[in-house]
Amino acid sequence: MRRSVKAGAIWALAALLAGCASGGSVMLLDAEPGADVGAVAVFAPKDGAEIGVLDKANTETRLNGRVQARPGDPSRYATLVDSLPKPGARFTLYFLDGSTQLSPESETVLQQLLEEVARRPGAEVQITGHTDTVGSVDDNDTLSRQRALEIRAALGERGLNPAIARAVGRGERELLTVTADGVSEPTNRRVEVTVR
Amino acid sequence: MRGTIKSVGLGLLIAAGLSTAGLAAEIGRIKTAVGSATVQRGTASIPAAPGVTLGVKDVLTTGRDGRIGLTFVDNSRFAVGPNARVVLAEFEFDDTTHKGRSLTQVDRGSLAIVSGQIAKENRDAVKVRTPTSLLAARGTRFVVDVK
Repeated sequence: MRRSVKAGAIWALAALLAGCASGGSVMLLDAEPGADVGAVAVFAPKDGAEIGVLDKANTETRLNGRVQARPGDPSRYATLVDSLPKPGARFTLYFLDGSTQLSPESETVLQQLLEEVARRPGAEVQITGHTDTVGSVDDNDTLSRQRALEIRAALGERGLNPAIARAVGRGERELLTVTADGVSEPTNRRVEVTVR
Repeated sequence: MRGTIKSVGLGLLIAAGLSTAGLAAEIGRIKTAVGSATVQRGTASIPAAPGVTLGVKDVLTTGRDGRIGLTFVDNSRFAVGPNARVVLAEFEFDDTTHKGRSLTQVDRGSLAIVSGQIAKENRDAVKVRTPTSLLAARGTRFVVDVK
């Protein structure tokens, strides 16, 4: 009796040590449509030195201090991956030259956007204003933020709860159509809205 | 009279300060929750549910039947599997410049990650720590599984 308890304890200890030694694993999955697979870098936890990377889809490595990439079966994590919230839905609204006045076709987009909010539980709305390269960087930061606030107000008038909406301006940092400085470009005068 | 104006002004300042702090504190929100799933915030335990806002140092825990789906302000997304403990240890993101960094600690269970704007614009700034390792996302979708 005593002996079997001892044997059990030894097995439990061995299993625990094995578990510690493996420390778990990391698997790089296929990218979502339109994205790159990218990579996962593994570092030594103590000094932060890079010890290896996973850079092919559906490969994995144990987390035991070494990187040995081997093929992994992503179906193991199918349920987990299904629990990921779906990617944000993106909408773009355009403005008339140098103004915060919306282009005529933007009304339809506002309505589609509100329908998307209604479809998503716990929805949030990220409103990001952009400008073209006419004017100074500072002025464009201000103008882009004004455009974002304009859209937030327009959505508020149409029933959106302001507590779930964030408005920010990115100025001329993210041009849709890349131009030289000082170029009036309608596709760059826009607000991008992500519903997530 | 003057005193009143001053104190009203101070009140407004405090109110403005508080509301800014409130906004800055939100790093993400829960989108889906299944089974036993909670957010531990200090000594408080909040049931995970769609719309619950998340802040730095929040701890997500799930039971045998639990799962949580969440999104962050940089558009990254997480799914937390059953029997998990995940700490949102650090998270900074400037939504004008897109500069930022994050550190997520997986103590146990599995975590699926789709990285967002932080990983896109800041090399190795999206880190995940497990009991035996430190990882960085370089623009990707991956699963960390801690036994």
